[in-house]
Amino acid sequence: MTDTAIETGGLTKVYGRLRAVDELTLHVPRGSVYGFLGRNGAGKTTTMRLLLGLARPTSGTAHVFGLEAGRQQLEILERTAFVAEGKVLYDYMTPLELVRFASGFYPRWSREAVEKYARVLDIPMRQKFSKLSNGNRTKVCVLLALAQNADLLVLDEPSTGLDPVMIDDVLRVLLDEQTAEGRTVFFSSHQLAEVEQIADWIGIIDQGRLLLEARLEDIKNDYRVVVAGGNGLPVALSAQVVSAVKAERFTRYIITSGAEAFAAGLRQQGAASVEMFPLNLREFFLEIVRKEDTCTFGKSGAKTGYASSLS
Amino acid sequence: MLLLQVNPSSGLPLYLQIEAQIKHRVAAGALKPDDQLPSVRRLATELAINPNTVARAYQELERDGIIRTAQGEGTFVADGMSQLLKSERLRRLGPLAAQLAVEAHHLRLSEKEIVEMVQEEFKKLGGKP
Repeated sequence: MTDTAIETGGLTKVYGRLRAVDELTLHVPRGSVYGFLGRNGAGKTTTMRLLLGLARPTSGTAHVFGLEAGRQQLEILERTAFVAEGKVLYDYMTPLELVRFASGFYPRWSREAVEKYARVLDIPMRQKFSKLSNGNRTKVCVLLALAQNADLLVLDEPSTGLDPVMIDDVLRVLLDEQTAEGRTVFFSSHQLAEVEQIADWIGIIDQGRLLLEARLEDIKNDYRVVVAGGNGLPVALSAQVVSAVKAERFTRYIITSGAEAFAAGLRQQGAASVEMFPLNLREFFLEIVRKEDTCTFGKSGAKTGYASSLS
Repeated sequence: MLLLQVNPSSGLPLYLQIEAQIKHRVAAGALKPDDQLPSVRRLATELAINPNTVARAYQELERDGIIRTAQGEGTFVADGMSQLLKSERLRRLGPLAAQLAVEAHHLRLSEKEIVEMVQEEFKKLGGKP
């Protein structure tokens, strides 16, 4: 058995002229909580659909637990639970009825899990879906996924429509219950604080391409923002430099390791001041994704990322 | 653009983060006397924080004689001559020196090692007093 839950190589999906997923190479370790980040339309949902065999790749490969997506469809779906973004529920049903209905389709269905999570997540099981809030609908979908007792949970924006208390409840459930069992959680999100709270791996996708895949620990411990003051500092990217932005007399670098040595190097090259800062995930995400915008280097362009990426 | 870095979750108030970074750059000579700083509003926009926070940082820096505001012209790095008496300047650094000595004691670092460390930091600033 492999120790990766999900592995893709050069995965590509083209819709007409749009390269929705472009040469994507992912490695999701087994047992990890993997936060899959990107702006709207970055290709997150398409990637998930490809993994589950709900769409066919134009080229490249995708494997889930070593099984080939699209070809060993049933085997993958037996071990995978998926919560899609657009949740379609039958208005005339109650969660209780839906749970009974759904249980017949899954060989590993767990009634204990249903009872437990319905209580923990505080879901009104006897109310019709037409009367349920968006938050409660989302929670029902998470419940259905959990009850499948799957080895891999794929969640597309699981916190959409949830208030902060609900988000916290869902995160707790995902973390405590799922990773304790050695399950793998692969989820997409815009809520960077929530990702920071539970993920141990992150992948950042933009315009269908993977910009970065790293352990969150490494980002926190080793990645640094280095701001140097002085003229003529290099903006050429060496292996450890993720991005470099020059604005008048100051240059800001994001580096993956060796901050002290990097700072000493800048001083040797004439930097008058060198400052180092740790990064939180939000800053990191904004920096990485914004770098892709052509206007990053201009003065006015720096603002464009905020509104859309935090929505 | 100054490319200041502010982090709301670092535990240090934002205005102090701004203050510390500008102080550092002036000390290191990356910002020189008469260099113009961005307006409160522009810096607030750049950092996506409340203008009052920037205004507070500027007020503190001005009070310490690190920057000056010229009516209608803007905010500039001051000429570096502190208006404060030597005794007052020494008094201000007193608690930091005391803390340094205490921490060094507990970390079992010698006086010599601490002096060297401070000298190293002065060197990074470009050796200016």
